[in-house]
Amino acid sequence: MSIFIAKLSTWSRSQKNRNLFYQLVFLILVAFFVNYLVSKAMQLELTLSHFESRSGFGISHTFIKDYTSNDSRWSAYFTGVINTVRVSLVAIILATLLGTIMGVARLSKNVLFSTIAYLYVELVRNTPLLIQIIFWQIIFLKLPRITEALTFGSTVVVSNRGILLPYAKPAEDINSNIFVIVLLFIIIISFVLSYYLNKKEDIDGKKFKILNYNINGSLAGTFVFLILSVSAYFILQKPFVLDLPSLYQNSKGTYLQSGGFEFTPEFGAILFALVIYTGTFITEIVRGSIQSLSKGQTEAAQSLGLTNYQSMTLIILPQALRSIIPPLTNQFLNLTKNSSLSVVIAYPELFMVSRTIMNNSGRALPVFFLILFTYLSLSLIISLFMNFINRRVTRIGA
Amino acid sequence: MNQQLKWAYNTFSGSFYNTFITFISLVIFGFIASNLVGFISTSEWAVVTENKRLLLVGRLPQGEEWRAWSILWISSFLIFSSLNIFVKPSIKELIFISVIFVSVCLIFITQDALFNVIIFTTLSLGSYLFAKYISQTPYITIFRKLLVFMWISIIPLMFLVLIIGDGPKPTLWGGFLLNIILAGVAISIGFPLGLLFALGRASQLPAVKIVCTIYIETIRGAPLVGWLLLAWFVLPKFLPEFWNLNETSVVIRAMIILSAFTSAYTAEVIRGGLQSIPKGQIEAADSLNLNLYTKLTLIILPQAIRVVIPALISTFIAVFKDTSLVFVLALTDILQVGRIIPEQDPQFFGKALEALSVVAFLFWIVSMALSNLSTRVERSMGIGTR
Repeated sequence: MSIFIAKLSTWSRSQKNRNLFYQLVFLILVAFFVNYLVSKAMQLELTLSHFESRSGFGISHTFIKDYTSNDSRWSAYFTGVINTVRVSLVAIILATLLGTIMGVARLSKNVLFSTIAYLYVELVRNTPLLIQIIFWQIIFLKLPRITEALTFGSTVVVSNRGILLPYAKPAEDINSNIFVIVLLFIIIISFVLSYYLNKKEDIDGKKFKILNYNINGSLAGTFVFLILSVSAYFILQKPFVLDLPSLYQNSKGTYLQSGGFEFTPEFGAILFALVIYTGTFITEIVRGSIQSLSKGQTEAAQSLGLTNYQSMTLIILPQALRSIIPPLTNQFLNLTKNSSLSVVIAYPELFMVSRTIMNNSGRALPVFFLILFTYLSLSLIISLFMNFINRRVTRIGA
Repeated sequence: MNQQLKWAYNTFSGSFYNTFITFISLVIFGFIASNLVGFISTSEWAVVTENKRLLLVGRLPQGEEWRAWSILWISSFLIFSSLNIFVKPSIKELIFISVIFVSVCLIFITQDALFNVIIFTTLSLGSYLFAKYISQTPYITIFRKLLVFMWISIIPLMFLVLIIGDGPKPTLWGGFLLNIILAGVAISIGFPLGLLFALGRASQLPAVKIVCTIYIETIRGAPLVGWLLLAWFVLPKFLPEFWNLNETSVVIRAMIILSAFTSAYTAEVIRGGLQSIPKGQIEAADSLNLNLYTKLTLIILPQAIRVVIPALISTFIAVFKDTSLVFVLALTDILQVGRIIPEQDPQFFGKALEALSVVAFLFWIVSMALSNLSTRVERSMGIGTR
């Protein structure tokens, strides 16, 4: 026995051994806790097999993918995912634009402009997002009723059921998918062309010339894109036609609106709220990053004779971008998760659809894990994309 | 005069872009101002004035109102005496504070609450002046310690006041009171927990690190409404059976979820502070042969927390704003009251904007006060300027 104690005391004198012991104790405690949770969870239904069955509820917003209440719950779930991605993607782009403009505005010499940015940040950042979503919904519902809908020619219809905009729809009996594929090719070709021309200009140190005319890479790319896409459109016998919105009365005299691209009050409310709310945080990030640059950069730009606009876009923002991107990624993740708040105004995105499935099936836990998994995957995709951009940005000048 | 004209020319015009920006700003200002004037001139505030009780305390029974009032009195004493001792506001800030103070009193004063409001006002002014007087006497150090102690114990004190002597059931808590309670509980439980998880994640023991990382990332992975929904459906099935915890009211469930959520987010913030400590500090502590506890409390944490105080306060603001999400648990916090009344009471149809703006105003005041505090702390510590 005493030999054992002596051995133990020598064993425990090493920091490494003691750490091993602490971790073992910790892991055993965690294992007990996890075991408890799992044993409780086992009493519940844990499979997702009920997702194969008929969903039985309608979804008001479908995009890309068609959905009816006769489809499976998986189908409903994917419609929700598409709606989440749609609103988050648009909101991320717009919020970044708004945040950048307002961040620059906060540092502007123009007092009016900087006051707007200051008031915007202070008023919007300190109220809950939920209040703002409800606020924008109220505003959208204050649009005129459908009986008094505003129409601008037959191009736009504005009522509180939604704003209809002209849109392209595939023409009948022509396969429009070919055109989409061709268009993708054209976009790739013109990007490659403009990238190549710009690169060549950088390496040669002089403009690329055709017949004594200076050719700008980006301009040439745009030109090629326009020419090719228009000619493809006509060669493929007009695969898309213009879809104009219309306002009409049916046989019973009820007003209806249809056609075009529908910008519904729900989508508008959640989009506006997300953009304007997240925009304030991006504003502060942009402002902080610009302020963290040394003042010498601005002064150097001025002494080179650059205008304010040039020094901002060529000198300040590219450098500020390095410290903007990591916190910006965080805001994008927050935005994506915050889009789940649209449940309060019945915009059917991932969270709302899942909640309906939970209610209908009574099996909350597996559906919750599905939600968790989906949001984690979305976050991972955003993080990967932003890391890719971050690597590109930090490489410049290194 | 010429100087001022030149300044005005340079600020508002001077180049094509700048003139354009001035024009756009004027249009935006005009648009907002005209809408605001239009809204104020057509608004009717009966929806707020007749539902003050519901907005502030929800369905708290009439006889139990003194509990809410005493919480208000205690906090007004604390806030206004700390204002003089710790913050020392400038004249401009004092004017701002009094404007907000008066407007809050004006919105929520009623005939039968007049007496309570008078106590509240005299107590606030009295404690402000009392603190001003005491800061010139030698008792200030004791008073300061007393205040710090009271700030730490305010949440348990609030609970005591709400529960003592057969208090109303938690399901009857509502309105702004509920928001404050939820935020207070979430912060006072979530912060210490978050500290532990941050230390765990920064630990050198891989097992501890992995477990803490999994916890933090899982909680941060799903949105708060998702977790609240989980609490609504299945949380009671996971709670132990003694104390009848599995029949807990939704308020307790909301507290559990909000605390867990706060702990994950504060852990991430504190981790940033831990990473900012130079390695030399830890090595110096090791070379002094400090043990883990002394090393943490004397060397690491004071430096780490000091750096992240502004970020911590903004996390707390976010938690306070997030308490409005408890609608998922069918709790009637102030936002739900403000939403439901114009929808369901025919007397107030179409008055949603008025109710919403008052709710937003209350949230804004609290968040604004906290964020001003954070900039103040930031400045007094010289964090941003180094």
